[in-house]
Amino acid sequence: MKSKKETIKPLLEIQDLFASTENLTILKGVNITINPGEIHAIMGRNGCGKSTLSKIIAGHPSYEITGGNIKLSGTDIEPLEPEERAQSGIFLGFQYPIEIPGVSNLEFLRVATNARRKFLKKEELDTFEFEDLVKEKLDIVKMEPTFLNRSINQGFSGGEKKRNEILQMALLEPKIAILDETDSGLDIDALRIVASGIKKIANANCGIILITHYQRLLDEIKPDFVHVMADGKIIKTGNSELALELEKNGYEWTDKFIDKT
Amino acid sequence: MQIIEEISKNRINNSASGSILQKICLDKLQLNPLPNHKSEIWRMANKSKLARFLDYKLNHDFYKPNIPYGNESQKVIRLIIGDHKKINIKEQEWEIKELDDQKILNLIQQKLLESDTTQNWSALLNHLLTNEKNICGLNISGRNLPHLEIITNSKNNLFNSRTLILNIEKNTEVEISQINLGDDNCSLSNSSYLYLGEDSQVNHGIVSYGKCKSHLINSLNVFQNKNSIYNLGSLQFKFDFARLEININQIDGNAKTNIKGMQITEDNEQISTYAKIAFNGPNGFLDQLNKSLARDRSHSVFEGLIVVPRIAQKTDASQLSRNLLLSNYAKIDTKPQLEIIADDVKCMHGATISQLNENELFYMRSRGLTLEQASKLQLRSYYQEIISFLPISKERWDLLALLLNNK
Repeated sequence: MKSKKETIKPLLEIQDLFASTENLTILKGVNITINPGEIHAIMGRNGCGKSTLSKIIAGHPSYEITGGNIKLSGTDIEPLEPEERAQSGIFLGFQYPIEIPGVSNLEFLRVATNARRKFLKKEELDTFEFEDLVKEKLDIVKMEPTFLNRSINQGFSGGEKKRNEILQMALLEPKIAILDETDSGLDIDALRIVASGIKKIANANCGIILITHYQRLLDEIKPDFVHVMADGKIIKTGNSELALELEKNGYEWTDKFIDKT
Repeated sequence: MQIIEEISKNRINNSASGSILQKICLDKLQLNPLPNHKSEIWRMANKSKLARFLDYKLNHDFYKPNIPYGNESQKVIRLIIGDHKKINIKEQEWEIKELDDQKILNLIQQKLLESDTTQNWSALLNHLLTNEKNICGLNISGRNLPHLEIITNSKNNLFNSRTLILNIEKNTEVEISQINLGDDNCSLSNSSYLYLGEDSQVNHGIVSYGKCKSHLINSLNVFQNKNSIYNLGSLQFKFDFARLEININQIDGNAKTNIKGMQITEDNEQISTYAKIAFNGPNGFLDQLNKSLARDRSHSVFEGLIVVPRIAQKTDASQLSRNLLLSNYAKIDTKPQLEIIADDVKCMHGATISQLNENELFYMRSRGLTLEQASKLQLRSYYQEIISFLPISKERWDLLALLLNNK
């Protein structure tokens, strides 16, 4: 009989990942494994490589993987385009969601949802079917249907933009959701709405990575693992107690891990 | 260049009714049959394309155009210049009646006498080559008018010339769309004159939609009286060579002009917009945005000029040129200019040339949209700003679909 540990197949495995942009090495050997249902928090100073890691997983064309690999459900995703990664189940919640004037939020969400559904071999939704689905999901983030008729993120407040990201996550039902500083720029009420939305979407088949500087998001969503990054590497991993320790002591102790050469 | 040869040898067939106008134009053009390529508004013009524009046989006959969208409805009056259809309609709240030849002559003659060949070559050529059957003059008055749709078309392998004169009376409000349809291997010369009376408002759309090797020179002359509002939306695409020359004159200032235009070029096309807005009185207002999108090895040109003489104090004018370059081989030239003598004015101008926004593309791709889908959505947003400004119903001319399915 196999043990529980042996039967669980990791959703995301990052092994000895090195990556660079414009000849500058940003990631210097990242290792992390996310299993279904797990919530991981990645914390660290500005510039330690947290956001770069999220962009590399999502396939941002400005970054190049120079070593190691990223596997989603056992498949190397490096050859995949960003849209293929998204269709396969990787979702990146942006720290600064992009405004796209003139493109209707509703139309964008419908095209994105259908791209994911097509990959999952589910029937694509027509306009009316999609409107029913999206109205149901709007409740998760307490958004008004009028948001759908506006251009993508245009004129949205910081909180509205982050709620729109979580709405997209709800519609796309990803395998792995990476939420890059989803808590930044949110007041307490907006943070609670966003956190509650994430908790409603999280399930036993989905892994979540929360990238954050602060404990306040982790007060709302308790992570299973907390990783501390410095200079492009994960230098310490612990449980939720580690985040409290960071809140108390700051990041100064991580400076000794920075390669000053 | 067949047309120039005919001008030089005085072989243009002058009809009796058009003879005064044609004589003025012939005299001027015989001195300078071709535009001066050293002048600001012609220096960018592709000489071989201009030569091809002038290289078709002059045609005065009417050919029914193949119009891709619906026919006349109760809300729209469709008029095709050259088909001899008389328009004289009087309703309770409005009236459209044809202008007589003398009135047309009065409206145009002085402008032509004053104009110099370099600045006004396109209009002079047009009036010389347009016979009376292809001149449409209308007097428009009243409110709650139906939408007026005016179509000019051309026949393949021929040179076609059309003139439109609209006298918009005081207190009139009207929406006019002008559709210029190019055919395969043809030239179309089009000159329009709009006279806006005091307190009138015109929402004007010009869509120039060509085919393979279509050529177009389109000159637009607008004269605004006090408290008039002129809104112009323009769209030019699918012409091997096209020019839109916009001349707006706020005769006494105190008027508003809003312009949003776009030109889309591909293959080896050259499409240009020249805009001169002159404020001849105080408190004038202008808001102009010109967009262009260039693909392949095409060339897009925008030259704008805002003229603010001493009399035009308190003018508030803005002219922006925003351009999207979608190929390493395409070329965009843009030059918004200000000529200001008055000292109490607010004027600004600017130009940007960029490519599709990579952050926007990545955002959409990170949600599962392919690069093609994301680019199309981004272009849709680029087009939308201009298309939504055109007073043209989507039901009759689905321009967005036409543009997005174009390539």
